[in-house]
Amino acid sequence: MTAAPVSPAGVRRARWRLRVRNARAFGRRYAARTDGVVGAAILVFFAALALAPALFVGPLQTVTIATAGALEPPSSAHLLGTDEVGRDLLNLTVHGARVSMVIGLLATLITILLGAIIGIVSGFVGGRSDQVLMRFTDFFLVLPTFVLAIVLAPLILDIVGTDAEVFGIRATLMVIIVVIGVTSWASTARVIRSQTLSVRERMFVDRARVIGGSRAHIMRRHILPNVVNLIVANTVLTFAGAIFTETTLSFIGLGDPFAPSWGQLLNAAQGSGAPGLGAWWYIAPPAFCVVVVILAFTLVGNALDDVLNPKAGIRR
Amino acid sequence: MSGTVREAGAPVPVGGELIRLEGLQVHFPIRGGFGDLIRRRPGGVVRAVDGINLTIRRGEVLSLVGESGSGKTTTGRVIVKLTRPTGGRLLLEGADVTDVWGGDRLRAYRRRVQLIFQDPYETLNPKQTIHDFVAEPLEVQGLGGSPAERERRVLDAIDTAGLRPASDFAFRYPHELSGGQRQRVVIAGALVLDPKIVVADEPVSMLDVSIRTEILNLMLDLRRGRDLTYLFITHDLSVAWVIADRIAVMYLGRIMEMGAADEVINDPRHPYTRALVSVMPTPEPPQPGHRARRVILAGETPDAAHVPTGCRFHPRCPLAEQAGIMERCRTEEPPLIELGGGRASACWLAESGKPLPAVERRIGATGLGATAG
Amino acid sequence: MTALEGRAVARGRRQWPLPKQADPDAPLLVVEGLTTHFRLGRQTVHAVDDVSFTLNDGEALGIAGESGCGKTTTALSLLRLLPSNAEVVAGSVRLFGIDLLTKSDNALRRYRWREISIIFQGAMNALNPVRRVGDQIAEPMMERQGLAKGAAARRAGELLELVGVPRARGRAYPHELSGGMRQRAMIAMALACDPAVIIGDEPTTALDVMVQAQILELLEDLRSTLGLSLILITHDLSVLAETCDRVMIMYAGRVAEEGPVGRVYRAPRHPYTQMLLAAFPDVHSGRRDLGTIPGMPPDLRTPPPGCRFHPRCPAAMEVCRTEVPPEVTFGDRVRVACHLYPPGSDGTPRSLPPVRGAGAEVGQ
Repeated sequence: MTAAPVSPAGVRRARWRLRVRNARAFGRRYAARTDGVVGAAILVFFAALALAPALFVGPLQTVTIATAGALEPPSSAHLLGTDEVGRDLLNLTVHGARVSMVIGLLATLITILLGAIIGIVSGFVGGRSDQVLMRFTDFFLVLPTFVLAIVLAPLILDIVGTDAEVFGIRATLMVIIVVIGVTSWASTARVIRSQTLSVRERMFVDRARVIGGSRAHIMRRHILPNVVNLIVANTVLTFAGAIFTETTLSFIGLGDPFAPSWGQLLNAAQGSGAPGLGAWWYIAPPAFCVVVVILAFTLVGNALDDVLNPKAGIRR
Repeated sequence: MSGTVREAGAPVPVGGELIRLEGLQVHFPIRGGFGDLIRRRPGGVVRAVDGINLTIRRGEVLSLVGESGSGKTTTGRVIVKLTRPTGGRLLLEGADVTDVWGGDRLRAYRRRVQLIFQDPYETLNPKQTIHDFVAEPLEVQGLGGSPAERERRVLDAIDTAGLRPASDFAFRYPHELSGGQRQRVVIAGALVLDPKIVVADEPVSMLDVSIRTEILNLMLDLRRGRDLTYLFITHDLSVAWVIADRIAVMYLGRIMEMGAADEVINDPRHPYTRALVSVMPTPEPPQPGHRARRVILAGETPDAAHVPTGCRFHPRCPLAEQAGIMERCRTEEPPLIELGGGRASACWLAESGKPLPAVERRIGATGLGATAG
Repeated sequence: MTALEGRAVARGRRQWPLPKQADPDAPLLVVEGLTTHFRLGRQTVHAVDDVSFTLNDGEALGIAGESGCGKTTTALSLLRLLPSNAEVVAGSVRLFGIDLLTKSDNALRRYRWREISIIFQGAMNALNPVRRVGDQIAEPMMERQGLAKGAAARRAGELLELVGVPRARGRAYPHELSGGMRQRAMIAMALACDPAVIIGDEPTTALDVMVQAQILELLEDLRSTLGLSLILITHDLSVLAETCDRVMIMYAGRVAEEGPVGRVYRAPRHPYTQMLLAAFPDVHSGRRDLGTIPGMPPDLRTPPPGCRFHPRCPAAMEVCRTEVPPEVTFGDRVRVACHLYPPGSDGTPRSLPPVRGAGAEVGQ
């Protein structure tokens, strides 16, 4: 044998080097997309706000700490004015970032996990299981989000108790997360199943069967890596959708009044009569933030889609 | 043909039976479309493989030749257990493995029977490195002993396939390699389990001509060095002639003729084979009279959902035209008749063992005959 | 038949008059110094470099070479059917003496399909799946020649019969036809406006060998009945041997050798031609030991200097590394671009030194 032997440690090192090289190549390709970079910068900014809001604006102002007058327009003391009980709106908006993003993140996690697993398994295994899973998915596909929220909210609160905490998250918050997750996973599942169906027909999947690969092995090693690009692009857009849904649900009053998300702020604004009183500074900041964040996600999602699923390529 | 292989140097002895197909049948019901080979009709059955008896002997290269719709690829897929037969038996070294579809027995079978695919661009997962591709069979089968031992086997396979230095190639991705190099990777991946027989489905059809020789060479070298047997599936008779010891010609799901490569090409005993041989292009300007000797069949292979009765070739058979079609050809399907000396032909006219009568009239290309459409 | 006689016969069979600007004494198609580049990001792919050839009336010219040699790009350059990142940067394409490369896109319409048409590889991709086949054949006649619908439909039916498809099948959609029928329909479409030249780009590559034989015989018959001139592009030298009068071997965007098919195949001069021919199995002569060409074709973004084949050529000399070999034509009308045959040599084919590296032949 003339091949120079490579130890398992050597293989690990080589693999690591490859990963680094791939990551660098990805970074370079992504950096070439101005829209993606702008979107990513915006998200990084909001993520920073969400992670440590107190660093930027101090602790969350509650009714008791409020010092200023009610519904004061923006001034040098309060850059975004105050709400109807005198809390600084800049403070509330920044803290709202955390709540909105956390809800969005958790809901997205549920959506992607459910959607990807069901999509891949259903698409790959096919047959009866596929039919059953797809009918199950169709059911959730047509569920109207808000109707479900209205039905589920009191139900969960009844079961769990209004003040209960699940994994450190309050029940009312949990409702929103669950509702968003439950109503979004179905379209993700469909999209991923569709991609799985086409990957499944490719020759390298046949080859994996011929060498003796089990179905689980093939799904993990061959289907998933070729579907993950779609999943990533889908995740980003799902995140955007989750934030939007949360905002809407909170706005119509199904949210958690103690968790000041942007939607909650809008709800409070409406409740306090801000629009009629011309207190635009109450409505504009949270609304603006929602729009900008969703826009940023969309930009990132598009850029990722292009970078990860390049259409151009030269064969041979 | 005796039990040796035509090769310069010491002949490679051909041994006992390795794979045997008995009455193999693969019928697909028509419900959803099956690609453009099959035209949609309500109900009906596509008889892709319609009764094949074949024995592959250890150490030989048997080439399965046929046009599209002949069933050769499906036969290959049955042997590597990617497709389930609907009838007949498959035997490996005398043991009936027709119903082996799971567990340890299937895994053991797969260790012995491997496949080289046609398209080196599609067989490799673009997200997988060469190393992982070649290591995957060992991983999946739980073979190879210690991790160090496994790595040695992987590099050994890559090296044997002619990609040197192996450690350099191991950590590249498929898109960094040329077509010929990728096919070598596929071969390495098939070798790493140390199989007994490799089914090669059009392994060189998608490669440039100058690369083909290298790959064919490699396959023959491996046969010597590793005691391999090949079932070489191809539509190209000239490639089959170069590499095979025996050739089996398939048409519409059955074997029409079988025998030693030289004999089948130089003295075909079935009208279909003879037509195929006569239209084989060669890199020589045509000699005078060459056009007259070409037997171009009219029409195309009928789809496998509508197999003609009697001899399935009779509607296109040039001899049927001139001999006045034998009643037998129209009503009775000829079996693969042994002609002695390892030759066999599924043609009533060949039954006597004498060469086929000459074709008197040429079938024009523009005439479409009974199988138009 | 001489070229002049061929021209008279072929042009006598034309159904439509020559273009107004045509020069009646000029050969049918003269390509000189054709050079086409592709832009890939910031790099340039030198796909076709200084390619010249002549096609006479009634002739069949085969362009052969392996993948990436530029044969398809050459054909597309003639019709200016190139993708947006490609550009013909030099040379001339004279049809009846008229330089097509100087014409605007609009003016080119007079020639595209009416004088030169093309059959693509894989008819399935070139045919519109939602229109009936007969309509697709009639369309260029109505558009380019202004035929009325009824007349065009009738002519489409005639063309289908001519290529061996029953007239009634013109009402079918492409997916209802078999592979061979589709390719015949494509040929009928290419014939629609009675062109002078048909370019076949790998027209039989995806087909079964028997259907391939049918199509090739059909093309031969059409040549003799219609006085058609043919440019056949393929990687399969064996196919060209049967159908073409002359053959042009291309390598890495340049012409290696060109001449009558008998001369080039029986006494190849250029080392690439010799090695390429040796790689094809020849059943009828019993030659089983196939040759191989070590190495890989060059990346045309950075082609090697001098002769582009020199890195793989067993007869490479110093001059091959630096100077582009000039094209030299010999008495038997073979043209070679190789330093083994400099201007003034007598053109005797040279045999190659043995290829370096073992295991070059199958079966050893």
